[in-house]
Amino acid sequence: MQTSKVLININNLSELDEYKKVGIANFLFPIKNLSVGYTSYDIDEVPDQSYLLINRVLDTEGINTFKSLIPKLNRFKGIVFEDLGIFNMLKDSDLELIWNQAHFAVNYNSINYYLEHGCESAVISNEITKEEIEEIIDKANKPVVLNIFGKNMIMYSRRSLVSNFNKHAGIGDVNNVDIKDKTDKAYFTLKEDAYGTAVFNKEYFNYINKLDINDNKIKYYLITNLDLEPNKIINIINGEQYGNDGFLYKKTTYKMSEYDDRKKVE
Amino acid sequence: MALLELLAPAGSKEKMEFAFLYGADAIYFAGQEFGLRANAKNFTREEMKETVEYAHSMGKKCYVTVNIVFHNEDLKGLEDYLLFLESIHVDAILASDISVMDLYNKLGLTMELHISTQASTLNREAALFYKSLGARRIVLAREASREDIKDIKEATGLDLECFAHGAMCTSISGRCVMSNYATNRDSNRGGCVQICRWTFDYLKDNNKLTEEPFSMTPKDLNMISFIEDMINNGVNSFKIEGRMRSIYYVSTVILIYRRIIDKILNNTLTDEYKDYALKVLNRVANRESAPQFYDKLPGVDEQYYLGRDEVSNQDFLGLVLNSKDGLIKLEERNTFKVGDTVEFFGPSFDTFSYTIDKIYDKDMQEIDKAVHPKEELYIKLDRDLPKYSMMRIKI
Repeated sequence: MQTSKVLININNLSELDEYKKVGIANFLFPIKNLSVGYTSYDIDEVPDQSYLLINRVLDTEGINTFKSLIPKLNRFKGIVFEDLGIFNMLKDSDLELIWNQAHFAVNYNSINYYLEHGCESAVISNEITKEEIEEIIDKANKPVVLNIFGKNMIMYSRRSLVSNFNKHAGIGDVNNVDIKDKTDKAYFTLKEDAYGTAVFNKEYFNYINKLDINDNKIKYYLITNLDLEPNKIINIINGEQYGNDGFLYKKTTYKMSEYDDRKKVE
Repeated sequence: MALLELLAPAGSKEKMEFAFLYGADAIYFAGQEFGLRANAKNFTREEMKETVEYAHSMGKKCYVTVNIVFHNEDLKGLEDYLLFLESIHVDAILASDISVMDLYNKLGLTMELHISTQASTLNREAALFYKSLGARRIVLAREASREDIKDIKEATGLDLECFAHGAMCTSISGRCVMSNYATNRDSNRGGCVQICRWTFDYLKDNNKLTEEPFSMTPKDLNMISFIEDMINNGVNSFKIEGRMRSIYYVSTVILIYRRIIDKILNNTLTDEYKDYALKVLNRVANRESAPQFYDKLPGVDEQYYLGRDEVSNQDFLGLVLNSKDGLIKLEERNTFKVGDTVEFFGPSFDTFSYTIDKIYDKDMQEIDKAVHPKEELYIKLDRDLPKYSMMRIKI
């Protein structure tokens, strides 16, 4: 994996120099009031030639906020977006648009639609199997962005799930909490802000060196870092084993009959 | 006048018939492919064809959900399926995946394209994008506020469909894969196991913050208080959730919303009727319901805590099979006895209460108590009742 093709979100501006030292040059900045889950920034703080992450499902107020920022966008490389309202407004602009609609980028037809209608690239979901990812990369009409390491937001609620529960249970003002079910099947982290609650899987996934892909078909290798230090990230890029295989070898089921069949096999 | 529609869930042909009988203008259902209730009975192709013919013969409409998020392997068969739906004259498909919308256009289909709530549309620009793809209607995200609805309507002129009643996802629709992570079942292809209804330990730095189990379950949605306001702000279709629910639930909820809408249109809706409607609706689901995002963000009062119990509903006592000269033939559903005060309700008469004085078995022998569900029984009333009226515990 070429470090020059890494695209990584930034949790603290001081991280930039550390990443630049090892050849990482593409940075992703979640924008305040328009993104959820990750450390976010006022647009004026974001360095030139960065990518902006806008991963909120935008309501009327949100889309108006975004619209007010459009005159400031031309100093950035592009936007990694979730809400199709952004696509509708900018699809004919010169900005690089990268489609990143959470869990929807799981088939090559959908990805190619956006690539053929104004997007420069698309982030492929990492919640599908190795074969599915490889087939999408193979059939995509342009180089795609591959989720290679990180913690995905696995649920986004507009509800204030943490503060509501704190209020109900008489707990003080805590945030960034973990929840774990009795069987340990579900172990998640919850982060709440003014726009709702983002839920993350407790463990990182790591697909580095696990996919058979043509590097020319990859625009960026995306790293979504929630809480690791840059030196740890750099070590992981260099091969340190950290994180799990996610869904690479685990095909999801959805019909009860398939689920029963799988259980028999296991 | 703009379209105003009451839209019912139809998890089976039987539920479809009850939904129409009790006042639905349209139904939505899934075939055995590509719908988000993968483990519901759903409709075979033959049943879908018959259902559409039946609905059209009554001047009603049928919408078919094709709203999973497609994986590569699911794309096979999609074209054939869409062409089949077009051939049986389905009124609309509901889609969330751009693959479906794109194929719909490439095939030049004429049935309407509706954007599923799974796409979570909350702003006018996203709505305009879907309009540019040929969408005639958008099922807005359940998180849509009054302002969002009004703004989208003004900007697009599209038909807007909003959920009015039923269970809520904790997540914004389509943005949750907790099932995938916890159980390997794909929520966006109909395999959701409702992790958001589980309870959890609540931890900070590996330490439990409280012994009380954490829960994130929302109360059900109930928009009775806002239907008129929603109509005034441009909502065209009021959707009832619940393809997995019983005929009793579907009939009860549809009838209440039918009457609410009709009373609004006739200027006869009173606060007393709204209070009664709320009482009926809260009882039929065995759980509390509330407006959620329309006029404010939901807070602590719009969620459930402390491991809520859902007891099964025993209110549905009997289904009227026929009646002649006041002799009502019932199919028993739950136990009742002589002396019980019950209620009869149905689509073509005002709900009334009655104290049972005699029950007869199929041989017209008097019995004191009905204790065998599905048994055919008789009671005597001072009037006849239409087939498929229902008898329930008095509310």
